[in-house]
Amino acid sequence: MSTFKKYLIVIMLFAMLSACGPAATPEPVQNEPAPLEQKPTDKPAAPVEEVAPTDVPVVEEPAMDPVTIQVYYPVAVDAPIAAILNGYIADFQTAYPYITVEPVFSGGYADVQTAIQTTIEGGGTPPALTVLLATSLYDLINADYIAPMDQYVAAMPNGQAYLDDFLPAFMANSYYDDQLWSIPFQRSAVVMYYNMDKFEAAGLQPPTSWASWADAAKALTTTEGTTTNWGLKFSSDWPYWLFQPLAIGSGQNIFVDDCTMAFNDPDVVEAVQFYIDLSKVYGAMPEGVQASWATDTADFSSGSVAMIAHTTGSLTGILNQAQFNFGIMPYPGKADGTFASVPGGGNFYIMKGAPQEQQDAAWKFIEFITSPELAADYSINTGYIASRFSAFDTPAMQEYTDEVPQALQARDALQYAEAELAIQNLGQVRSIFHNYIQKAFNGEMSAQDAMDAAQAEAETALVPFCQ
Amino acid sequence: MNEKAINGRLFNRVGAWLLTGLTAVIAIFWTIPVVWALVASFRPMSEPMKIGDVWFGSALTFANYERAWSLAPFGQYYINTIVIVVTILAVQLVTIVLGGFAFANYRFAGKKWIFFFILLQMMIPATALLAPNFATIRILGLYNTRLAIAIPYFGSAFGVFLMRQAFMDVPRDLVDAGTMDGCSWWQLIWHIYLPPSFPSLIAFSLSSITWHWNEFLWPLVITNSDAARPLTAGLVRFTQLGEIGAQWPLLSAATLIVIIPLLIIFLIFQRHFVESFLHTGIK
Amino acid sequence: MSVIKSSAKRQKFNIFPYILTLPTIIFVALFTAWPVILSIYKSFFLQRMNIARFREPSFIGFDNYSFLFSDPNFLQVIKNTVNYVIGTVPISIFLGFFFALLVNRKLVGRGVFRLALFHPMVLPMVSAATIWLFFFTPGYGLMNSALRVLGYTGPENWTGNPGLALLSVIIVAIWKNSGYYMIFYLAGLQKLPGDVFESAQLDGANWWQILWKITFPLLRRTTVFITTIAFIDAFRTVDHIFVLTTGGPSQASTVLLFQLWQERFENQNVGLSSAITVIFVLVLLVFTVTNYLISEKED
Repeated sequence: MSTFKKYLIVIMLFAMLSACGPAATPEPVQNEPAPLEQKPTDKPAAPVEEVAPTDVPVVEEPAMDPVTIQVYYPVAVDAPIAAILNGYIADFQTAYPYITVEPVFSGGYADVQTAIQTTIEGGGTPPALTVLLATSLYDLINADYIAPMDQYVAAMPNGQAYLDDFLPAFMANSYYDDQLWSIPFQRSAVVMYYNMDKFEAAGLQPPTSWASWADAAKALTTTEGTTTNWGLKFSSDWPYWLFQPLAIGSGQNIFVDDCTMAFNDPDVVEAVQFYIDLSKVYGAMPEGVQASWATDTADFSSGSVAMIAHTTGSLTGILNQAQFNFGIMPYPGKADGTFASVPGGGNFYIMKGAPQEQQDAAWKFIEFITSPELAADYSINTGYIASRFSAFDTPAMQEYTDEVPQALQARDALQYAEAELAIQNLGQVRSIFHNYIQKAFNGEMSAQDAMDAAQAEAETALVPFCQ
Repeated sequence: MNEKAINGRLFNRVGAWLLTGLTAVIAIFWTIPVVWALVASFRPMSEPMKIGDVWFGSALTFANYERAWSLAPFGQYYINTIVIVVTILAVQLVTIVLGGFAFANYRFAGKKWIFFFILLQMMIPATALLAPNFATIRILGLYNTRLAIAIPYFGSAFGVFLMRQAFMDVPRDLVDAGTMDGCSWWQLIWHIYLPPSFPSLIAFSLSSITWHWNEFLWPLVITNSDAARPLTAGLVRFTQLGEIGAQWPLLSAATLIVIIPLLIIFLIFQRHFVESFLHTGIK
Repeated sequence: MSVIKSSAKRQKFNIFPYILTLPTIIFVALFTAWPVILSIYKSFFLQRMNIARFREPSFIGFDNYSFLFSDPNFLQVIKNTVNYVIGTVPISIFLGFFFALLVNRKLVGRGVFRLALFHPMVLPMVSAATIWLFFFTPGYGLMNSALRVLGYTGPENWTGNPGLALLSVIIVAIWKNSGYYMIFYLAGLQKLPGDVFESAQLDGANWWQILWKITFPLLRRTTVFITTIAFIDAFRTVDHIFVLTTGGPSQASTVLLFQLWQERFENQNVGLSSAITVIFVLVLLVFTVTNYLISEKED
């Protein structure tokens, strides 16, 4: 009996002791020197870094109070993002000793957004800086979560030149109401990967139109026994993104502006029909909705599939696996000689709920990390497309692209890109679009009926946003 | 009579073998996914899966484990997870035994209502909990601590329910005999109620450990430093690769790094699921 | 019966049981009841974080509820949820019971067999579902390879097919949960009175009669518990849907909690998601209470 009592006491003691985790921080973000195992900020000035930014003035601003900012970031590729960021931050803190940056890994993009929402709704202070999808723009503005960045750019000696240096496609989702809300960071694009060896063996040229694309896909579809080696794989379990370049190549993006959708535009409907025809008419890819985002790259790099529609983010993985020559190109368009692509990925946003001095420090960090050298370095180490033109002129990048010409092909595809779907009420309208385009892909509705219904429902869903 | 008995025994023997065979078949079938994941975790990343080639690659490699281990501070995470899980379980064992005992042994006004009130905990979806509980934790000053991850689970409706059911199955005569003998309330629990309910307590512990070991969204939201975060914060680095899609060898390696202790814990704990007829009869 | 008899002895008011339940009540009140109350309150308001002029809540009575029940999409979601629950709950409970009987016997390597059946529970759902994602791959996924060996000639595209998407998430849920329910049955089996079985065997009852007439009834409370948690689990598990189908194609595998996630965090519709939360909790509460009351009546 007394053993039980002892047991109880031990349990409770243990519970209390072990529950005292790391030092409790009362608020998510606080404007104090970093706690605990933070890197010391007062380390002696390091020798000049290899990757010292050239267009960021490394001027010690006198008598600045120390400030700590947090950066919530997602990881969407299998690169050592945390280690890479820590390296940049160490350099940054050499240049700006009064700013401490704490990177906070927060899951996938959706998890980061959930964490931000929860923090703000729970009365906490959001981190000064976050990396979220470029397309989250309107939701973030409407929720009053983010602050515009124009003042910072205006204060730069060469502000407009700085902005103009970003690939225009990556800036397509950064503006609203003539204000600048985000800066591109880890960006990608939808492209078509093609197996050059297979094309050569079949005596084919890379396609330049829908017709030659479909013909090539058909010609490269082969059957051995019961297995089919498809000419083309084109996943559609989260369809809007990979589909957008089809619509753009047809002559009309799926939306016009944040309040105007073009789901049932004849060109868009034609693009839906083309996707269906690739399987039904040409027999060049499997029928119906393909939940194959993760396996398409493997199918391509194992040499089973001749072409895939995918993100440039997969370049690193495919390079690592493919035993053949392959190329990256934008989707061929409907008319001969036209091409199309669409950007993707995440931008930096400055959170309005953070104290002003943290927001200012966050901008300093953005400026630092988007320097051509770091943009190039980040691209080389992660497989994302470098966000700035000047990044491609850096020696490191030139060395890299000499070795990996596909990285340049990825950039070049972006000259044919239009904006990724970023609109009011994004979640709901995107669901509507997915809902109906999948009905069309699965043959439950005709392309025209499906897109008409999608357009009607989307318009209704946009009424409260766009009155 | 004799012949019948012999036949019966033979039948039993054959039946037992058949049952064992059936168990083996089901067990093999059930483990295919995890066996595949185990094999895949040793497959070189440079060898894509393809038709007829989804198991072993050309060589066995630890590269995926090394890579997974290097992409997240699993060592620190391990400590945190263990602290969190043990804390939760220790407090829960106390609260659920007391709660289960109250509901099984006593009659009191509003008993049903209190019981249903507690059961609410099992029903509310996480979506509705995140923001309010974030606010509560913030007000309690626990943000970014391991305690913040653990404290919402200190009371367990699941456990109270399970222990109530288990205690109710204890023959009433035993309890009455104990009361007659002058057992105090905690002697009743310790000597009468707990011994036959021990398997249920084990089942609960397994469930609690597993559940909290694998919880990921709440810890990600309520902490922002590796000093407080659990193993799942490491695993999430491999499960949410939205840009490039699932990387099975890497994910399998990371998953196995995370769950191996759970498998061992289960193997140890399951030994307690042994028929214990002795307990019911004589006291 | 016996409860009433013996507790008749302690008729006078006793504060003690309240004290015993107090720790649980405090934690539940703080971390569950309070959020529920907030949800109920917010469900009567129009509040959408992603529309500037609706950020501040405004009272709209039952409009969120009436909207939901007139929305064909929501009705589809309800239908999917019902199908999902019917598809997962009875089978996983049955398998849990069956597995428990199989591995409760004396058996060489019993621990390993038990582990084989229980281990899916130990896998984080996201990992488990990702592994299954590969199994469902058309062409070379192991699911199809296995089925083809058994003579299956149907469609191979599981997660993209509107007729099979929900079935594929059901399969994963059953695989994951059966072993979980098994351990509660195992725990229940351990305290069955052995003498009852012995006398039944002496009376010449066969194993089937023993199973149905003795074992199963004696496990009634365990079954009530497992039915309750299985039903609740079916509503509360959603990670595998995010991984396998993202609710598609065309919402064919969107269940209530998935819809709730979308409304809450994607559409940032606080009012509507609160209403869904209330419906969600009510359904579970009604089921649990009914299940419990029926079971207690049998006493």
